[in-house]
Amino acid sequence: MPPRKRPAPPLEDPTPASRSPPADQPSEPSDSATPTISQSILAKLPSQERQMYIVIFEAGSKGMWMQDIRKKLMLGPQIGNKIARNLVSMKLVKEVSDVRHRSKKVFMATDFQPSAEITGGTWYHDGRLDSDAVAAARRSCKAQVERLGVATAQMIHNGILRDNPNAGYTIDKIRDIVRTMVLDKVLEEVKSTGEGEFSSIRSGTVCYRVAWAAEGGMMEGIPCGICPRIDECSPEGVISPSTCVYYKKWLQMDF
Amino acid sequence: MVSQHGILLAISIISDHFGPLVSKVCGCLLRHGPLSLQDIIRRLQLSSGQVKNSLLVLIQHNCVQAYSTPRGSGDKTVTLYLAIFDNVLHRLRFSKFLSLVRVDIPESEVLLEGLLQNGRLTFDQLVGRTISKAPEGSPAPTREEIRMNFNKLVYAHYVERCPRPEPFFDPLADEQPTSTRKRAPKAVEIVLSLEQKILRTAALSDAERFSEIPYFMEGSSNANEHDNHAVAGGKRKHEDLEVDEEDSIIAENEVLWRTNFEKFIFCLKKKFCAERKKTKLKLGTHVIWEAFFEANVTNNDSKTVTSPINRILERVGQKEGGTSMTLDQIISVLNDLECISTTRNPEDFTFDLNKLVEACRNDEIESLVKKKHGQEAYTIFRLLLKQGCPVETDEITDRTILDKQVVHGTLYKLWKDEYIDSERVPYVSGTGGSQFFVWRVKNTYREQFIDHLYHTALNLRHMVNNLAELLLEGTKDETKLRNRKNILVLALTRHDESLMLFHDF
Repeated sequence: MPPRKRPAPPLEDPTPASRSPPADQPSEPSDSATPTISQSILAKLPSQERQMYIVIFEAGSKGMWMQDIRKKLMLGPQIGNKIARNLVSMKLVKEVSDVRHRSKKVFMATDFQPSAEITGGTWYHDGRLDSDAVAAARRSCKAQVERLGVATAQMIHNGILRDNPNAGYTIDKIRDIVRTMVLDKVLEEVKSTGEGEFSSIRSGTVCYRVAWAAEGGMMEGIPCGICPRIDECSPEGVISPSTCVYYKKWLQMDF
Repeated sequence: MVSQHGILLAISIISDHFGPLVSKVCGCLLRHGPLSLQDIIRRLQLSSGQVKNSLLVLIQHNCVQAYSTPRGSGDKTVTLYLAIFDNVLHRLRFSKFLSLVRVDIPESEVLLEGLLQNGRLTFDQLVGRTISKAPEGSPAPTREEIRMNFNKLVYAHYVERCPRPEPFFDPLADEQPTSTRKRAPKAVEIVLSLEQKILRTAALSDAERFSEIPYFMEGSSNANEHDNHAVAGGKRKHEDLEVDEEDSIIAENEVLWRTNFEKFIFCLKKKFCAERKKTKLKLGTHVIWEAFFEANVTNNDSKTVTSPINRILERVGQKEGGTSMTLDQIISVLNDLECISTTRNPEDFTFDLNKLVEACRNDEIESLVKKKHGQEAYTIFRLLLKQGCPVETDEITDRTILDKQVVHGTLYKLWKDEYIDSERVPYVSGTGGSQFFVWRVKNTYREQFIDHLYHTALNLRHMVNNLAELLLEGTKDETKLRNRKNILVLALTRHDESLMLFHDF
């Protein structure tokens, strides 16, 4: 079965971002403001620098990995790095960190802002996940659902904006956070019936309420349930229940 | 097909209850499927007498079903023996069955105990046993009393007449639709395993299975009501009585009775679902939830519970705070509890047990993943389960909003523990590298989990037996050992709930 998403080839999509830009990045240019390559700059550049600048510029807001640039221009590592350094010193190109591949050098024309695919989006800061920001957003969402009982993503968003107008979350970001909370079983997704507790929500609308923690079985309480060596365990084997250290610890006994 | 540790668990149960020889025969049948007497003898290198006796013990305790099947192309038939894995496992839960009857029909508990201990018995044998077991000082129960208590068990379907001892089953003919198959509509017919098909062939019809012992004595004026063999009208009354008497003698002295495990498992399933949901109910709805289960009428299937609104109202009214509830309130709560009434039967409310069972199964597996590999593993595993198709690493990172390194580490842990599968997808051009990985939950994760459940039960039993041996040897720490053994027995009893959840419900 094909994967749902593959990294898009950079040259086929010269627009700054293939995804919808996050609203918390207002500097993201709209379609009308798509940067175009300046002929005057190109005219000033030596041949090799010009070629590399064109390739990097065409990659747009996604930038281009050094190895791909070299492959495309058929350059050696030393030459490639030297030209890139020149372009960076001329402030035509900048080095950005790709959240997906932190060790890779990705270059981007200074006219572009890194796309969410490169930066990781709202929840990333300096190429790293901002766990505190995620946790704060989750807390806000949960507080809204607890207050309302049952709420749609829009209701949660409105509630957060009312309580904290400076929070700066977009509805899409709230949806993302709420989805992860459903995965964690902090919230559960339900469809409104339009009656009872759903009376304020149109019937059929997806909404959220606080979920009950999943109830596990006895397996969690028995050493074998979480034993990392269970596959090697047998009554007559080297690892066996009668000599098991986890059982010994559990029952606080000496064999 | 039963998993490896399932077979080992069954062998361990049979070995503890009936000794090593019987367990060898049972293990041989579980591993190889139905075998003839000669085949068992050849495979186990035991004497004919030993195998025969072992088979008799297993048949007596409902762990083996014999059936005849065609041999070669002629009219000759051969008797094969099929081990019934489910019934072996039910031996773990006899105490649960007894406690159910203790609550429902306490006066019949001793009769059920007799059947559980002896597998199958005639009524006559049960009477003898019950009278001999009567506590000293108290008057021994009369045969009539015992018959009445016994019929209560049959009426409630806790006890049934034994299936045919050796039905004819032709696997080739079974491929064609037969008259017995016609009972189920094609749309809902599910694929049955060989074991299920044979057991279905051996099973009596419901009318026969639960036909009570007829009364023919004075004071049993409703004899014909209970008698399924009632003769057609027009015959003289004394002829009816003669037939009754004859039937009664046969039913008492010749018909073999046994515990109906299906009924007990259904009761335990109901109890399990009621308890599981109870912890998640809102304040004030407990009364209605309890009343719904108490008002349950006999169901035609083991998947749902149906209760008529009148009986629910009656039960709610008997409970504390129930009298102040209006019909609308109760119906609204029932709907919230997913007890649905159809337009055809607006008076009946039905709860889908299987839906809850499925949710509980998922909860147990996911919860174990969390306990074993942490919160991140839980989130990722649930995402992959929800997606149901391969998901790329970056997409997992995006959707779970987890740190990329953490996602990588967690995916590796889940993959190593064989919960998920990965696939390398080559990628030629672009900035992302030459390949990327997609992940999905393994199709076999449920089977693996069930095998893990059996393995855990097996280890617990092993530990219980170890401690029992230590106790027998005698030690100064006897109290400590006894306490630890109790912990293990308790764990095994609770663990059996998970076994039932995944295997029987």
